[in-house]
Amino acid sequence: MPGMADVTANSLSAALIRGAFLAQTRWKAMQARTARRYMELHALSASLDLFKPGAVVPWVSYLFPTELLASYGLTPMIPEIGSATLTGSDLREAVEAAAARMPLARDVCSYHRIALAAVENNMLPAPSMCLGTTPLCLGKECLLEMLAVKHGVPFRDIRVPLPPDDGEASPAVVADVADQLRALHDDIGRWTGRKPDLGKAMRLSNRASAAWGRVMSDRLAGRLEMNGRKTFATVFLGQLLWGTEAGAKDFERLLTERGRGDLMAPTPLNGGKQRRLLWLHTVPHHDKELFNLLEQKNAYVVFEEMGQMHLEIIDPDNPFPGLARRLTDHTLWGTSTRRAQLNVALAKRLKVDGAIHFNHWGCRHGLGSVPVVRDAFVEAGIPFLAIDGDALARGGPSQEKSLQQMESFLELV
Amino acid sequence: MANAYYTCNLLPIQLLASAGYSPVWLGNRLVDPNQPARREALAVHPMTCPYVTQLVAAAEQTLANGPTEDCLVVAGGCDAMRRLGDLLLASFPGQVFVLSMPRSGDTGAQRFLADELRSLERWLTGRATGTAESAAGAEPPTVDYPRGPSPGGVFVVAGPLSDASFLDLLGELGVAVSGLESCTSPDRRQALAGVAEADFSSLAAELLRVGVCPRRSTRLRREHLRGRLDAAAPSSVIYARQSFCDPGAYDAVLVAQLAQERGLPYLEVEIGFPFEASGPLRTRVEAFLESQLLDDDLLDWDLPAVGTADGKE
Repeated sequence: MPGMADVTANSLSAALIRGAFLAQTRWKAMQARTARRYMELHALSASLDLFKPGAVVPWVSYLFPTELLASYGLTPMIPEIGSATLTGSDLREAVEAAAARMPLARDVCSYHRIALAAVENNMLPAPSMCLGTTPLCLGKECLLEMLAVKHGVPFRDIRVPLPPDDGEASPAVVADVADQLRALHDDIGRWTGRKPDLGKAMRLSNRASAAWGRVMSDRLAGRLEMNGRKTFATVFLGQLLWGTEAGAKDFERLLTERGRGDLMAPTPLNGGKQRRLLWLHTVPHHDKELFNLLEQKNAYVVFEEMGQMHLEIIDPDNPFPGLARRLTDHTLWGTSTRRAQLNVALAKRLKVDGAIHFNHWGCRHGLGSVPVVRDAFVEAGIPFLAIDGDALARGGPSQEKSLQQMESFLELV
Repeated sequence: MANAYYTCNLLPIQLLASAGYSPVWLGNRLVDPNQPARREALAVHPMTCPYVTQLVAAAEQTLANGPTEDCLVVAGGCDAMRRLGDLLLASFPGQVFVLSMPRSGDTGAQRFLADELRSLERWLTGRATGTAESAAGAEPPTVDYPRGPSPGGVFVVAGPLSDASFLDLLGELGVAVSGLESCTSPDRRQALAGVAEADFSSLAAELLRVGVCPRRSTRLRREHLRGRLDAAAPSSVIYARQSFCDPGAYDAVLVAQLAQERGLPYLEVEIGFPFEASGPLRTRVEAFLESQLLDDDLLDWDLPAVGTADGKE
């Protein structure tokens, strides 16, 4: 069985191994025929192309509108997804050792720290351009621009003001963001010398959004109960595929029972009542202990805050205002009060038994909002637990404490 | 006269004074560390920089115990400070304004900051009870060079400093300071003192020109630091970084590169807010400075040539 180290090299043997590795992943997808497996295949396939000589590698922030890249046939390199993939592979030890040798302080977000170590040590491809957005955090903007300066490639960031706590961003704000996106789309064409087809990318993105939007509205209405942890992992990877044919088909697979078969909520233990939880912020990607505990205690994550992405259909003939609105009014952006209001409303609508906030290592944006979010949940009478951890860790010192906290919390709810 | 507390030295204090407030840097109102902790006090996550942690406590104390006319203006430059603003705004509604700060310095960023400053002025005048004053009574940060900046000394890069203790420590160790790059440095303060409140567009442009701090664009920051290092002509560089500070973490890597490009010895130390010269920190700085003296001494030595007893070849 080849590993990531074999498939990311730049040689004939690596290309052959890459082909064999993809064939094996394709075989798994064809057997399972689920959206999750196909999304893994397509995300892996597109990402491996970034390692080929001469590939254009756009490093972008997590909320960057990747349709602007799909318009030129480009695949994004998203640091958070790259880090999560590498630390789940046989390169984990190597990339962690590289991160430990780096002069960058250890208290920054581990997604960004690992991504930097990986690109510095040829485990992720070097950027051809670095493109950010103000949402969600400042740390990734620092990372992206640092990489751009180091590799002598263009850096752009889309400046997105905070939305109001109630209501929508003003038309003037949306127009300003739309202008920035339009200029950036033109710049990408100039830098790469490629011809755009944004209309096609938007139509494909809209197909995916329509499917995903239907799944999400069914989940919110209680007509569909899915496993929030697994669903998040799928959508997380799906960030690489918006605006592509593969992405459209994969999200549409979620509309069939078979297609979403491996993402469904677990069956209750001994027919007892399951406790349904709302998960806020990212999830531990590689540490299964917390979720095993949930299963043992007859509880599961029914909905994930970060799954609320790309739910709007955007005019393909004039996409910039729609793409801008998606950024300005994103549910993950805004003040702590806005986040608290949106999540309490979500929890009430879903009638969850409690909410868990995952305090990801070094994420000042996420954990900084916890005091306000906690107060709002307490006021609403909804049990709330914030647990510390590292989304990329396996075990570690904080795991035991988190497990104890979770166990006590589940007894409480 | 009501106080307008502020968190960042980049805020134009004349704007606060013109609206009828006494501008006070919140770092001058820290909670006495010997004061017993209150159970119901606002709490932030331990993975938050000491500056933000201390300012939350200071703001809670000053706003809770002061008149409701007092207010706080938070420059939301980084995620932690933005979230500090959110927390205090939720706790003291109507008394807190969070000013968003852009990273870049382009015309779009200037326009954005000008709009933010305009909103701030509207908010201040809308709630003010006093009359317009000069900024003469302001209480800005008090950090100053113990002696004037001396070329050939240590160049210090830091986040916000509570006072000049770190510079004093270097003086105690017998080393001059060639320059201080910090948002609380006198260089920044003096540059901002000249910023007049002509119109919001030019005010924003000037603030973005002067305030090239770690959270700003890497390219701008690199150019800014290059200029400062070249002007200060230091013999070494010390980065005094606050733990859990994201912009500081990336900035420290940048400063280390600039020091390396110039062949300057570089040391990064982690400091708290307020600054305390603890034993281990003092020892690290002392060892770093001594190692340079040792290098110089070795270069000056007239070493005997190898091969003869009297040192002659």
